[in-house]
Amino acid sequence: MSDITIQNLRKTYDDVRAVKGIDLEIDDGEFLVVVGPSGCGKSTTLRMLAGLESVTDGSIAIGDRVVNEVPPKDRSIAMVFQNYALYPHMTAAENMKFGMKSASEFSGDEIERRVEEATETLDIAHLRDRKPKELSGGERQRVAIGRALVREPDVFLMDEPLSNLDAKLRVQMRAELLKLHRDLETTTVYVTHDQTEAMTLGDRVAVLEDGRLQQVAAPQELYDYPSNQFVAGFVGEPAMNFIPASVRQRGDEHVATAPGLSLTLPAGSGLDGIDDDGLTLGVRPEDVSLVSNRAGASESFTAEVTVTEPLGELLLLHCRLGDEEIRVKVEPRSRIAAGDIVELAVDTDRLHLFDSDGDAVYHSSVPEQVTESALAD
Amino acid sequence: MSTATKPYDSTLQAALLLLPTAAVLVAFLYYPALETFRLSLYETLFLGQRQTWTGLGNFVSLLTSDVYRYSFLITVAFAAVVVFGTLGVSLLIGYLIFSVDVRSSVYLVAAIWPYALPPAVAAILLNFILHPNLGIFTHYLELLTPFTLDWFNDGPQAFAILAVVAVWKQLGYNIIFIVAALNNIPEILTENARIDGVGRFRMLYKVYVPMIAPTMTFLVIMNTIYAFFSTFPLVDLMTSGGPSDATNFLIFKLYRDAFQFNSLGLASAQSVILFVVVSILMYLQLRFASGYGRYGG
Repeated sequence: MSDITIQNLRKTYDDVRAVKGIDLEIDDGEFLVVVGPSGCGKSTTLRMLAGLESVTDGSIAIGDRVVNEVPPKDRSIAMVFQNYALYPHMTAAENMKFGMKSASEFSGDEIERRVEEATETLDIAHLRDRKPKELSGGERQRVAIGRALVREPDVFLMDEPLSNLDAKLRVQMRAELLKLHRDLETTTVYVTHDQTEAMTLGDRVAVLEDGRLQQVAAPQELYDYPSNQFVAGFVGEPAMNFIPASVRQRGDEHVATAPGLSLTLPAGSGLDGIDDDGLTLGVRPEDVSLVSNRAGASESFTAEVTVTEPLGELLLLHCRLGDEEIRVKVEPRSRIAAGDIVELAVDTDRLHLFDSDGDAVYHSSVPEQVTESALAD
Repeated sequence: MSTATKPYDSTLQAALLLLPTAAVLVAFLYYPALETFRLSLYETLFLGQRQTWTGLGNFVSLLTSDVYRYSFLITVAFAAVVVFGTLGVSLLIGYLIFSVDVRSSVYLVAAIWPYALPPAVAAILLNFILHPNLGIFTHYLELLTPFTLDWFNDGPQAFAILAVVAVWKQLGYNIIFIVAALNNIPEILTENARIDGVGRFRMLYKVYVPMIAPTMTFLVIMNTIYAFFSTFPLVDLMTSGGPSDATNFLIFKLYRDAFQFNSLGLASAQSVILFVVVSILMYLQLRFASGYGRYGG
């Protein structure tokens, strides 16, 4: 068993608190991505998992064993680093063998067999005798991954392994990592600052900010039902629009108003008793569109286009709505220029409300599993 | 003309600016070197007042002299012990300093201070500490172990004592470079090795030493020069080449031949031989080392 249980994990350097109490369960065979901006504590958390950093407080268990005091080599982990960490004077094959040769439990034949296997899996058999300086970035990272593979660990730890690669290679390696994980089914904890990587790779994604866990969920759930404003803003590109709004109850309905905007919110559990100023309305750029493209929209509003960004597959409009700037994704070949006044409507199934603390209080559609559990009650 | 600032206005001015350096080089380096080479072809008397051309006579007599050949042999042996002894001990101490997390700078200073002592002062100090009759180290050595120190009379002991002192004196220099080189190795390699469970000493000779090979080569060369030339004050003040020529190294022998026995021609020939030997050694070391030190990150 190689599930991981992290309880109330903390890390303090002198007077800097890097990790402020994380609770996380990672299932056996799961691919968990930890994502967050730089300095959020994600790398520190991974390094504590690896045993490269001591744990200030809390516990880490791999399987049934608490590993807080277990040295890295005895944790049955393998780590892949952002800058590869290959030994420059050794060939690719030597790099892969070196760690295993240092542990006495492996016979020469066994090491040879595993290296053979790993190089085939990663398609680097022809690079075996090259030194790191003779390899491209992508090839180096493959060798580094190969070095982790030959250990046949219970857990893979990856610290931004694709960050040093160029964009095209990154996409390709992402797909290969996914395939590799599907074949091996080894528990993997993957740290990145790149939300696209997080969304595409993770079975689940853990969003970290300021040393605290913000939300752990499957990628789509994270995107559709962010638990707070930070997650809502961090996941998705371009980021979700946030509009300060007040919500008033009018009869059976709740209406959100902001300068230049008035929206009737679809009924939802979060709305009960809400009759507030100081809320934030969240709506993603793709959930706002020209009213002409949203048949049956009952409520529309107008905004002035300030900047247009043609992105090829779509046209991104920056519009002024009241005092706020909102981003809107529209058809790529729309004839819209800066200065135009456009009439917009929102997808009312995709609205979010955050309270003044940033916590999500309402999503206009309800997550499925929540519906199920609600039905079960 | 370019508008870039020129440090001088004319060739004459440039030449004048260069003059002091050139003069010093010529007066104290090139002229003595040429003069040494010239003198090595003469037999001299009365501090070089009377010179007789002998061609390669000085070299022939040196190469056929048992005393010179013995001196040559023990010098090479001494240099080998000092070069590799210094490097080995420095590597070990440097690695320990590199490995500790707290107060490593205190250890570093403690390890390199002998280097700050002038060689003559070090020699006199150690002379007292290791003195066969009066030395405090000798006292405890003879109290606690069956060994006796008698290096005023025992040739091999004198050789060993000088080697130890020469190594000790040079440690600091080596340690500075080794610690600096080790600190340049990306920490991530060390972390990766921790995860793999690579033992500390395996890591040292399989990873760190190959990675700091350029520095090690440099140190081998510097230590070679040191062992051949700069150990003179230690020999002069501690053993004076004795007992019975056991520490009569080339540099000391040529000094004595020149300034005590007034054979400037013969001493010059020895200088030339020493120069050639060290040059060849240096060439071989660089040649041997060029296989290392050419890898990227």
